[in-house]
Amino acid sequence: MSLSFTLNGQPCATQAPDHWTVLDLLRDGLGLMGTKYGCGEGVCGTCTVLADGQPIRACLVLAAHVRGRVLVTVEGLERDGRLDPIQTAFAERGAAQCGYCTPGMMLAAKALLLENPSPSEHEVREALSGNLCRCTGYTKIVEAVLAVAGSK
Amino acid sequence: MHPFRLLEPESLPEAIETLGRLDGESRLVAGGTALVAMIRLGLVKPDRLVSLHRVPGLNRIRVDGGSLELGAMATHADIERSRTVRDGWPLLAEAVHRVATPAIRTSGTIGGNLAYAEAASDPAPALLCLNAEARVLGPGGERAVPLARFFRGFYEAALEPGEIVTAVRVPPPPAGARGGYVKFTSRSAEDKPLVGVAALVVLDGAGRCVEARIGLGGSAPTPVRADRAERALRGEALTDAAARAAAEAAAGEADPLSDLMGSADYRREMIRVWARRLLIALRDGTALRDGTR
Repeated sequence: MSLSFTLNGQPCATQAPDHWTVLDLLRDGLGLMGTKYGCGEGVCGTCTVLADGQPIRACLVLAAHVRGRVLVTVEGLERDGRLDPIQTAFAERGAAQCGYCTPGMMLAAKALLLENPSPSEHEVREALSGNLCRCTGYTKIVEAVLAVAGSK
Repeated sequence: MHPFRLLEPESLPEAIETLGRLDGESRLVAGGTALVAMIRLGLVKPDRLVSLHRVPGLNRIRVDGGSLELGAMATHADIERSRTVRDGWPLLAEAVHRVATPAIRTSGTIGGNLAYAEAASDPAPALLCLNAEARVLGPGGERAVPLARFFRGFYEAALEPGEIVTAVRVPPPPAGARGGYVKFTSRSAEDKPLVGVAALVVLDGAGRCVEARIGLGGSAPTPVRADRAERALRGEALTDAAARAAAEAAAGEADPLSDLMGSADYRREMIRVWARRLLIALRDGTALRDGTR
């Protein structure tokens, strides 16, 4: 099937097998490896990307279902060579250990901050509730998101 | 993942026609949060999926004749954020907000949730309390199925081959209704509930239950209303003892399964605990936080 949508600010027109998910499309079709394949069942959250500003599970959403939508992956967070404030905060606060959950964490945080620029800690934790960190590094991650919220 | 062909009808008549002419194993897909996971796990291997994404207007949320009408493709996120739902049907907004995690709620739909007929659905107990009905369209035309008759068995909805849930209609709650939903999870907070309890009560000036409705998830092969518990409450003052007796009745009439999340006995015990706490919280107007073991 043919597909067109906006990917990280650029129009994207491509072909994909009917049964592909957004994760298949990004990694295998378009070679964007920033979006990670974790559980593949919608549980771990590391494949989280934004569709029209909302977080989705790339492993569960069919590629056909993002036709015409605006997708943002971790590769699209930086602008003109400058990191997104979320990326800077994650780096400065050491909010990553192995890093495998980091793309999904940052996009879940981005979705939250787009909707609610000054969330409470509870709201941050709720927004990140679907993103698992197996290094148990949640404290630094929550601190990093709150730091971005506080700096605005 | 098992390869399938994807068909994308652009209207409901075309969707009905498409479902009708397909042979082999075909499935309807809405948000895909359940079905795509099942295909990935190899639990179902459909040759074709029929997607409803291109059918316009199926995700509308509106009030029609005093009733809330949720298009089947309205996502849980659409519903929990809707001012209309939050103001007029707060019990539903509360229950839908408890489904899984944010990135699932942006894809999962209310029609898909009901058609999946998950016993531990979060929205279903609330919708049962609200006397909702499913609008179903098929080759034979349209029909309305009260939710109380919609869940036929374990993961089985009262849908004939070729039928589609197009909308969920929710009558306005009775005047003065207090509603709440509480979810108890035994593994992690974003899991489906071990048991979920929804309740809606109307109290008169003397604190008696003029109306009492209790919906249970994870407590039987399907979501159910706790009829005996409701009868025990109606006309009675909502005292601690009455709440305890109703919760006891709900636990008694439950028919839970044992699985990896917990045993049937444990589920019954948790219905007893959470139904009582919920009823008392509704009476006192206090907040009740979800429980995790």
